[in-house]
Amino acid sequence: MAHIFAVGGGKGGSGKSFISANLGVMLARQGKTVVLVDLDLGAPNLHTMMGLNNLKTGLNNFLNKSVKNLSLTAVPTKTPHLYIISSTRCSLEVCNLFYEQKQKIIRAIWQLPADYVVLDLGAGTNYNALDFFLASHQGLSVFTPEPTSIQNTVEFIKAVYLRKLKHILKRHAFSTAAKEVKYESDDGVVRSPLDIVNSVMRSDPARARLLQEELKKLKFKLILNQYRKQIDETLGNRIEKVCNRHFYSQFQFLGNIAYNERVFDSIIARNVFVAKYPYTPTSTDLKNVANKLTGNNVQAPALKETNAKV
Amino acid sequence: MRKFEELNYYEIFEISINASTFEIRQAYKEALSIYGSDSPVSYSFFTEEESKEILDRIEEAFSTLIDQEKRALYDKMLVREKRIDPSSLTEKREKVPTPLFSYKNAGGAAIAKTIKERIKDKDLKKTKEVILSKDMISGDDLKQLRQTVGIEIEDLFEVTRITVSILEAIENDNFGTLPPTVYLRNFLKAYAKLFEVDPKKIIDGYLKNLNHIKATS
Repeated sequence: MAHIFAVGGGKGGSGKSFISANLGVMLARQGKTVVLVDLDLGAPNLHTMMGLNNLKTGLNNFLNKSVKNLSLTAVPTKTPHLYIISSTRCSLEVCNLFYEQKQKIIRAIWQLPADYVVLDLGAGTNYNALDFFLASHQGLSVFTPEPTSIQNTVEFIKAVYLRKLKHILKRHAFSTAAKEVKYESDDGVVRSPLDIVNSVMRSDPARARLLQEELKKLKFKLILNQYRKQIDETLGNRIEKVCNRHFYSQFQFLGNIAYNERVFDSIIARNVFVAKYPYTPTSTDLKNVANKLTGNNVQAPALKETNAKV
Repeated sequence: MRKFEELNYYEIFEISINASTFEIRQAYKEALSIYGSDSPVSYSFFTEEESKEILDRIEEAFSTLIDQEKRALYDKMLVREKRIDPSSLTEKREKVPTPLFSYKNAGGAAIAKTIKERIKDKDLKKTKEVILSKDMISGDDLKQLRQTVGIEIEDLFEVTRITVSILEAIENDNFGTLPPTVYLRNFLKAYAKLFEVDPKKIIDGYLKNLNHIKATS
């Protein structure tokens, strides 16, 4: 079964598609079969970033049942071993998926014959984004160093956490707690998901342990994109620390991705950044993140590499 | 994971129970850089009330651990409640050497802010009146201002960035090690401004006193 990464994060423009595309290329370069799935339903553009136009097949063929197996809708990209399933030909109303359709997509993704699957999600905290995020093995949350972006990322993390929490409460029949939660959230009283965990702990300490263990299975990875020199380089580590301290899930900061003006050029050229500009600090940062995700050794900064060549 | 309210002071700062004063200060700075009111991390995570609760707890932890007597009492309490193993407590807390670039820490601004707030909260009117009524103002008077607020000379350094040795010389009227008058005036001005007393009176009174000491010795 494929190992699934979901790339999400609350704020638009933080670089989710950029990270997905480049991560896909980096993983494929490790010699693995990788499938990129554009799940930014209703606003797909991952194929453009990969330099592909006029795609004949995509997620729409799977949704309208003209193709039974999702893997048949994958299209090869310019990078060997890297495929893309685009949602560009889907209906303009595809963002309002029925629950059953969503479950069908998730089940099909789990059965894709690949080593890695990278899901590119849309911004915001709607159920589509949350459920696809939760369907992955590892969820990557991308943010930039602005307070607005950090804020939305924290909201996103809290929303994912709450959705997971509700799933657990339902599945393990925490009936009273689940009702309480439902009642509270309808009222808009729930300040943070932590309140729910605390209330379960008070009312049912025995099963609170189960809840904690289930929540612990949830793994978040954090990526700080558009990192600039003047920013405290430990910002990501600090966020990781606070998350680990105040949530029951596991958080890992994967690293800073240096800001680079040429990212703009690569998108204009409709080419993947790491392919167009492989010898830049940004590309090395992306490579290091990919290596960290797959457990390979992290390499030295790009500057040293280029210096060695000169 | 344990809840923040359940962590003991050492766990809040993620330091060992035998941490030195220096380590405690560093850890305090680090904590403020995460939970301080200016931090973007804290801003996104917590509501204002939650953030205040956490900060109060950090302040309480710091003021306890930095004070040798209070710290000893706190350690005893932890042992009594069986929250720590008494055998892990060593008698002497070694002072470790200061790492060279340790002051390049982002917590500096946050620490300065809390110190300024502490000074603001304190009612210094009486002390100020006594000092300003004097014709000659000695270093002892300035020291008294500081001690009434209950802050250390290192804290003054955090706010004013005047080195500790100069601050000590000012407070002890040690004219041998004091900087030239041009600089001294500015240092005194910074000192006075911090405690919100008239800088002109302080400078004039202090220099007058200094000349007097020089003349008599």
